Amino acid sequence: MDKVAVVAQAQVMSGAIGIPRERMLYETVKSLYDELGITRDDIGTFVLNSNCFEAGRTIANVFEDTPVGAYMKDETHVDSDGLWAVAYAAMRVMSGNYDTALVVGNSCGASTFRPYLMMDYQLNPVYDRQLGLLNELSTAALQANAYLDRFDAGEEALAEIAARCLRNAANNPNAVRSNPGASADEVLASDRLYDPLRELMCYPFTDGACAVIVASEKRARELTDRPVWIRGMSSSVDSYYIGERDLATSRATKVAAGRAYDMAGISDPAGQIDVAEVGAKFAHQEPIICEALGLFPEGSAGKVAADGTAEIGGAMPVCPSGGGLGAYLFSAAGLVRVAECVRQLQGTAGDAQVADARTAVAHGQDGFCAQHDAVMVLSTEEG
Amino acid sequence: MPAKQEMVVANVVVPLDFTYNYRVGPYIERYIKGLGEKKILGTRCSGDGSVVVPPRKICGRCNKAMDEYVEVGPEGTVENFTVGHVRLDKGLVEKADREYVIGLIKLDGATSLLPALIGGISPDGVRKGLRVRAVFKDPAEDSLGDLVHFEPAG
Repeated sequence: MDKVAVVAQAQVMSGAIGIPRERMLYETVKSLYDELGITRDDIGTFVLNSNCFEAGRTIANVFEDTPVGAYMKDETHVDSDGLWAVAYAAMRVMSGNYDTALVVGNSCGASTFRPYLMMDYQLNPVYDRQLGLLNELSTAALQANAYLDRFDAGEEALAEIAARCLRNAANNPNAVRSNPGASADEVLASDRLYDPLRELMCYPFTDGACAVIVASEKRARELTDRPVWIRGMSSSVDSYYIGERDLATSRATKVAAGRAYDMAGISDPAGQIDVAEVGAKFAHQEPIICEALGLFPEGSAGKVAADGTAEIGGAMPVCPSGGGLGAYLFSAAGLVRVAECVRQLQGTAGDAQVADARTAVAHGQDGFCAQHDAVMVLSTEEG
Repeated sequence: MPAKQEMVVANVVVPLDFTYNYRVGPYIERYIKGLGEKKILGTRCSGDGSVVVPPRKICGRCNKAMDEYVEVGPEGTVENFTVGHVRLDKGLVEKADREYVIGLIKLDGATSLLPALIGGISPDGVRKGLRVRAVFKDPAEDSLGDLVHFEPAG
């Protein structure tokens, strides 16, 4: 695989009605250009990542091109989660046609449109939507119960995971929900939704934009002395029907990770990966995804929660940013996970910094119970 | 130029008022017809033999046609469930009047799990492994609602 790197990232987030979408996009991308001392003329191709249904505008990207500087440029749109947008940009650079790609995603789940309603509209219209039983929260609860039941784990483990995410989020200036003193008891005391889900085990609605610049090897070295190489990437999709899936595990993540790890030369994920940023929308999805990524043994949520392995200073830090429980940009969350890996690997993660982080794995998802999963391995080591 | 710009309109509300017309297709049509006869139909895959409920045309796993209709249930086993304390109304979370149970039911003869309401039992009495039986609407209304819920069997 030709070398391709992420050279810089930027994010703007808000948990309330913030600034208008176009200005948010402009400010995010402008800060990237300014940081690298470049202009839009230096960008070969633009990959815009947004969800038309969320924006309420078909072909939403045509409204986003102007603020990000894509006018009269090569430009394309990814409606799936933002990790696919980064993968797509990497492929466009690897094609040799472009030296640089700007990936920019945005979503206004806190102000413009309700994320749970967006998920309702992913349901099969002639059956599931008619019955009204399945929604984002009831399906997530069934997935959580499948995990707890399979591995004989308690809901306390999920509360511990949520509390760690909220504590980590307190170190992340882009988090929209955080609490430096969050405890499992506080999580368990939050509103019951569908058992075992409590409100604080779920992602907060978020407005925001996130951008990264992907560059060829030559251009990456010119733009930064800290290129983060994309060493492997893949995606996989499971059945839409939750009644036909093993909800206690994520087979799609496992398959995608296998391919990404093969590309990256990773044979011992837990040993070779220093930090993980996974696209978990709910506390229970973190262990399900991490286990499928090979970072922890199957069914180890309780043990991992108890021994501190996943803490920022632990042996296998997960979501030092606070992950999806700190902020979740609907449809761009995987792009944010990549951006957070870049912060870690460039050593700019501040109080969330994992010491000596060299190799990271990012994960993004779409669909009910993480039906569709994408995995990317990033590293400062050239391989 | 005015010294201070005053905000006159902070937000606009933009309803999208349109309707989608979906073809239900022969599989769900036949499923609904079956419910009216107090039968639950699935389809069997010609490739891996799996039987899915509700019936559909193509097997996801092996991409083969599932043309053979199979009657499953009406009894089955609760494989997974959640007690709901809220309802979602157009994406807004509202407190439910009372707790209710959504289960994933493994119908006898099926390989997939059917999402369905579990009734006729207190929510805290529902357990994995509970044997349940389908309750049908009588008279039937020729809709998916003809399968009302599942309640403890026997």
